[in-house]
Amino acid sequence: MQVAVDGPWSPLLGRLTLEAIPYTNPILIFTFCIAATAGLVVVGSVLYFRKVGYLWREWLCSVDHKRIGVMYMILGLVMLFRGFIDGVMMRTQQAIAIGPNSPGYLGAAHGYLPPYHFDQVYSAHGTLMLIFAATPLLTGLGNIIVPLQIGARDMAFPYLNAVSLWLTVAGALLCMISLFVGEFSNATWVGLMPFAELPSNPGVGVDYWMWALQISGLGTTFNAINIITTIVKMRAPGMGWFRVPVFTWVNMATAIIGVTAFPVLTAALAMLGLDRYVGTHFFSAGFGGNYMLYINLFWTWGHPEVYFLVLPAFGLISEIVSTFSAKSLFGYPTMIAASMGIAGVGWVVWAHHFFTMGMGPNLIGFFSAATMIVGIPTGVKAFNWLFTMYRGRISYETPMLWAMIAIVLLLIGGLTGMMLSASVIDYSVHDSVFVVAHFHCMVLVIGAAAFAAVIFWWPKVFGFKLNETLGKWFFWTFIAGSLLVFVPMFMAGLAGETRRLDYVFNTALAPYMMWEEVGVLVYLASIGFFVLMLVVSLWQRVPAGESPWGTERGLEWLTRTPVPFYNFAVTPHVNALDETSWRREVGAALRPARYVPIHLPHGSGLPFILGMDVFAWGFALTWRIDWMIVLTTIAMIAIVFIRSFDRNEGFIIPAEEVEAYEANISTASIFAEQPKRGHGLAGEAH
Amino acid sequence: MRYWRKLGLLAPLALAGCSTDNMRLFHPVGMLGGLEYHYTMWITGIMLLIIVPTVLMTIFFPLRYHHSRNAKYTPDWHFSFTIEVLAWAIPLAMVVVLAYMSVSAIYRIDPWTTPALAGAPGASLPPVKVDVIATDWQWVFVYPDENIASIDELVVPAGRRVELTMTATEAMNGFYIPQVAPMVDAMPAMISKDAFEIDQPAEFTGFSTDFSGAGFSWMRFKARIVAQADYDNWVKSVQASPNQLTYDLFTQKIAQPQVNYGAVPSYFTTPNAGSLFGKVVMDAMNGKTYPVPDSLTKSVASNEGEAPASASAK
Repeated sequence: MQVAVDGPWSPLLGRLTLEAIPYTNPILIFTFCIAATAGLVVVGSVLYFRKVGYLWREWLCSVDHKRIGVMYMILGLVMLFRGFIDGVMMRTQQAIAIGPNSPGYLGAAHGYLPPYHFDQVYSAHGTLMLIFAATPLLTGLGNIIVPLQIGARDMAFPYLNAVSLWLTVAGALLCMISLFVGEFSNATWVGLMPFAELPSNPGVGVDYWMWALQISGLGTTFNAINIITTIVKMRAPGMGWFRVPVFTWVNMATAIIGVTAFPVLTAALAMLGLDRYVGTHFFSAGFGGNYMLYINLFWTWGHPEVYFLVLPAFGLISEIVSTFSAKSLFGYPTMIAASMGIAGVGWVVWAHHFFTMGMGPNLIGFFSAATMIVGIPTGVKAFNWLFTMYRGRISYETPMLWAMIAIVLLLIGGLTGMMLSASVIDYSVHDSVFVVAHFHCMVLVIGAAAFAAVIFWWPKVFGFKLNETLGKWFFWTFIAGSLLVFVPMFMAGLAGETRRLDYVFNTALAPYMMWEEVGVLVYLASIGFFVLMLVVSLWQRVPAGESPWGTERGLEWLTRTPVPFYNFAVTPHVNALDETSWRREVGAALRPARYVPIHLPHGSGLPFILGMDVFAWGFALTWRIDWMIVLTTIAMIAIVFIRSFDRNEGFIIPAEEVEAYEANISTASIFAEQPKRGHGLAGEAH
Repeated sequence: MRYWRKLGLLAPLALAGCSTDNMRLFHPVGMLGGLEYHYTMWITGIMLLIIVPTVLMTIFFPLRYHHSRNAKYTPDWHFSFTIEVLAWAIPLAMVVVLAYMSVSAIYRIDPWTTPALAGAPGASLPPVKVDVIATDWQWVFVYPDENIASIDELVVPAGRRVELTMTATEAMNGFYIPQVAPMVDAMPAMISKDAFEIDQPAEFTGFSTDFSGAGFSWMRFKARIVAQADYDNWVKSVQASPNQLTYDLFTQKIAQPQVNYGAVPSYFTTPNAGSLFGKVVMDAMNGKTYPVPDSLTKSVASNEGEAPASASAK
């Protein structure tokens, strides 16, 4: 059944040979040294400070939504960094390789990357940034904030939450190991068909890409199920649908996209997998295959996926603009309607990704108009943010700066997006770097909102604020870098520069490339400030107090700061949309008068083990190591089997213990190690 | 106030954007390019009517309502029916206008039939037909009526409609001549169409826009629009060429993966030129592929000096 592949194959190692290790490539050796050093530093310090047990019990085995969220965000930040380095490599290549007389280094004819390597770099850049940086960052924020905003103890399915995380990590690990064992896909992050089929792409790169996407996609689907259930079933008493905070609402919209759109990707990738492994012809050009089917399926997922990412960002902007304007969010009901509208319309716009593939005017007309409709709810959101600021009392804390720049970026991205939705404009800039600059504006909206949210909720999670001065340096250098990279990129797009060029034949583009390179260096500086901000703040750890920003509004600020592992000591009764500011205003109690026992789930190591097993499974599939595929599959079934016989129902924290925690909140913080707790439930708990 | 000064730093950048010499989108040639330019300007202009005031408000409100300014503060004012109606109605009105423009534009420009060219001066003349085949990684232009073919150079007469019928051998490629013709993909086992008409002799550079593999960046070609008499001479000279592009030569040599480093054109007589395109499409449908050797993927690096195999056939 299995399709025959070129090159050597052995029963023990599959397609894996020594040649798969790129030990002759200086760039990859350098990268390996950096990665190995970083890994050694992490492992070494864990060993040195004797934190192996702590790390295992409190983090790797954790089912606490805040810790899982933090781990999601660490993953997102690490991948963001790697994706950024890919971006630096691309910009540098294009800054060097211009015109026939441009120099070549490291064995490349032009620039320093041969085409095949360059193609992998940008394919990895796209895959990592969208799937393994933006998605985990936003999923992590949702994980941390949503249960707090609705007054829940944890997610509805804490164990599934950990499974989602470790599946995502497994996908990310596949991308990372492709750096040093074998190669990554050169067929772009979307998987160009029929180019990604076996005849054109016989290497393991596409397999790595495919399994990484497939595995992390499953994680994201599980997470979406979890979020929906949590929001529907676990809201605190008194929280009707119109008291649900707007960030929670957008997570609902996003999760609906997640459970509906991701299965389409799963199906498309499964068919591609059959093509590449079993020899079917779903997406080949010949033998009755139809690669347009793949393109349609991919973007049926791909475009809702864009809104899957941008909707949480909109929610974050709403929360932050309202907080730092010291004013309720303007037009809350229409904001929700707009979010749901975007999630809905997002389903009928996918074909605008391939206007140039011979579509007739009737179809183009429909998809062009449908795409433009997205502009309506997006415009509504922008206006509502403006009127939230109008007659507010605004302070320029770093989160607010990020939120304001996110609105401006959204307007620029929206303008160019509306241009691209008109096929008549698309016919001249489709597949040009104009498109690249457009969607980078949009992902910068996501990035800006995520940075704003990290800075805003950091004290809630960790109990101390991030350094504001360095935060502002980070902000201004980041914005300068964005302008320097993307303004010239828009202009190069209008000058007709196609995307994905490893060699630029048009020498007139040289000035743009130079400016973009300068911009990327400014970005590098901004990352320095970001790291410095983290290090200095972690070093100083100035206690933030119960109200770090002074104008917090939502329910999540009713917990203690830093938020204890059980969230709310007593589940609050919700009286208003902005519960905390409402209670302050009417003088209601912010803290419970008496404490009750709390019921929480036990941690489990199984999700982590499952994630690592799935990673090994993906690796075995990529290299076609048959025995390992069988073994890891059996292990997967075994883990699910073991879990299904787990009768552990969690543990109870007695009321007196809760009181002790509340009196000394740092003992319950995210860093604190908790005593080992027995099984069994005694009495009623909340 | 210091935020105003920081914004002032952006002014030179904005000015730099006003020089459009390089930006080919702003210098259309021919009817289709002109139409695209027309719609681009109108659609962008209408959008700016909304975007510019909104950006200004985004800058003005935070300055005006900064807590240090003690401006009017209404913490509980969070809904206004009038504003909400306007917030939906203004984008809606704009989208209606833009969607109307976009839809009417596509019915004029549609590359399959190009209705707009019906009003062009060359409409009364018979069109020049060219079959475009994108290989890995060259452009093969077959002239079925003249029984000739050229590689990496498209020569067509000014003042006549050029009708392009496109396909590809292996990977999808975007066919694009900026300023001149709409971008349309050339796809294996499928047929797509594009057309243009340029009334004055001119020279352009076309290229592939859809990534197709290691030689993609070099996939450019010259598009020469020449006077009718020069075109006739060119056709005659190519028809006298000793090189023949047969189906066998095409499959065994031309369509085999090769990087078009110098963009050196080559010319062929092509007996039965009309049948080649159909055969290529059928081949792809029957599953014929042209696998890329390792020397052109993993180890492609510095074989710059090598001319493509087709050029040596000259």
